[in-house]
Amino acid sequence: MGEHIVSAFDHDLEKIEARISEMGGLAEELLAGALTSIETRDTSLAEQVTARDKKLDQMEMEIEEFATKVIALRAPMAQDLRLVIAALKICTTLERIGDLSKNIAKRAASISKLGPLPTTPSIIRMGRATQAQLSEVLSAYSGHDTKAAVAVWRKDVDIDEMYNAMFREVVTYMMEDNRMIGAGSQLLFIAKNLERIGDHTTHIAEMAYYIQEGAPLGDDRPKGEPVSPAID
Amino acid sequence: MAHAEMTDLEATQPAPDTVQTKIQARDVRVFYGPTEAIKGVDVDILDKTVTAFIGPSGCGKSTFLRCLNRMNDTIESARVTGEILLDGGDIYDRRVDPVQLRARVGMVFQKPNPFPKSIYDNVAYGPRIHGLVANRAELDSVVEQSLRRAALWTEVKDRLDEPGTGLSGGQQQRLCIARAVATAPEVLLMDEPCSALDPIATAQVEELIDELKQSFSVVIVTHSMQQAARVSQKTAFFHLGHIVEYDDTPKIFTNPVDQRTQDYITGRFG
Ligand SMILES: Nc1ncnc2c1ncn2[C@@H]1O[C@H](COP(=O)(O)OP(=O)(O)OP(=O)(O)O)[C@@H](O)[C@H]1O
Ligand SMILES: [Mg+2]
Repeated sequence: MGEHIVSAFDHDLEKIEARISEMGGLAEELLAGALTSIETRDTSLAEQVTARDKKLDQMEMEIEEFATKVIALRAPMAQDLRLVIAALKICTTLERIGDLSKNIAKRAASISKLGPLPTTPSIIRMGRATQAQLSEVLSAYSGHDTKAAVAVWRKDVDIDEMYNAMFREVVTYMMEDNRMIGAGSQLLFIAKNLERIGDHTTHIAEMAYYIQEGAPLGDDRPKGEPVSPAID
Repeated sequence: MAHAEMTDLEATQPAPDTVQTKIQARDVRVFYGPTEAIKGVDVDILDKTVTAFIGPSGCGKSTFLRCLNRMNDTIESARVTGEILLDGGDIYDRRVDPVQLRARVGMVFQKPNPFPKSIYDNVAYGPRIHGLVANRAELDSVVEQSLRRAALWTEVKDRLDEPGTGLSGGQQQRLCIARAVATAPEVLLMDEPCSALDPIATAQVEELIDELKQSFSVVIVTHSMQQAARVSQKTAFFHLGHIVEYDDTPKIFTNPVDQRTQDYITGRFG
């Protein structure tokens, strides 16, 4: 893409991209914090995550307002338009990821009251994989890298499969020992939230693709078999 | 329709497939003396459709538009080759009377050019010479209708005898639009019809264009991307005497294929 004749327009669009990346960085930080708070049963870290999530909401509003102004005042066309529309959708998606991370962190308090749980390492592994996906999609977005975006999109099936395995494992524990039911449900909620974050990540991948290609990425993405329609 | 489909905005819906081709241009070239200004243009202009011509200044939009009603005949140095068919008939055939042709293919020019006559006579001129009205009352009605459609009636209804040249630039342009629609042309060619108009008059002209496309074919040259996007269903992008891209308007403005189109509509250095 060449530069705009009106250089202020370039600056506006650059600002949108930069703010999305910044917001993405914060969402990633929230997810990482949430995982660590579960792993280390650190309730004060969990509280920090909740507090930082407000900042994410604030950033979402700022981006929306700014993008609306750009549409009204500069009437972007073609790829410029797609960039602005995608920013509106991505910022909402990142806000959702922040919410889900906050929900995960909230479970740290209940979990910290329980004895050691055999499944914590698997859920942390699933969480780190989700975080890696998020990180990769954000670099694909900022680097205008369609190939990397598609790779993230395809890899979400791994998260789905981890979720399914996790689900079976936790349910097995709960069936064997009904004292595990409370803790098990907490873990299932966390796993479900991570799986949702994975889906949101693929949505960002779709947007990164749409900006560059002007067409939807399609819907033949590989998906894991759903095993738990009951707790969506 | 069971539910509102969210495919396209009302005004930009692509022409249904049943819409006929109104004008067919094949390998059209225009020379001004030795200089080739239009370098082989092929395009099908649809009936009951608004087609926008966009492109950088000097790329040949006006020149090509003038081919469609043989307005280039009036330019000494201009020479047109190729073929232009209106409803299948060659408009450059020797038997075609250019004056009759221009009643069927009307034109609004880039610069307002009212005749040095009264406001009334400017609009009445076409219907009179083409014998479209039987009496004065009918003529009065055509004049009023046309001025209303051009969103000028309320401003001039009490001064129809004053000279058209005494109107403001924007009013003169609307007078020329009224004059062009007064003969009920099948095709209306508009060369930047709103460049001298304020936003209200522009919206009124756009509403008129929307209304005209129910029965006619409208071709509009515009430098406003927003206007092209708002009023047209098809858009042709002209560049250095060629049409480099011609497609449904929503496609051109959301996802053009050619890099030159993309650079132009997004305001980038090409
Ligand atoms: N009467 C004329 N005599 C000689 N050359 C002409 C004449 N009219 C136009 N040209 C040349 O033909 C080319 C195309 O001009 P044209 O007026 O068709 O461009 P345009 O796309 O309508 O531009 P604009 O957007 O500025 O109105 C230009 O290079 C112009 O200088
Ligand atoms: Mg012109």
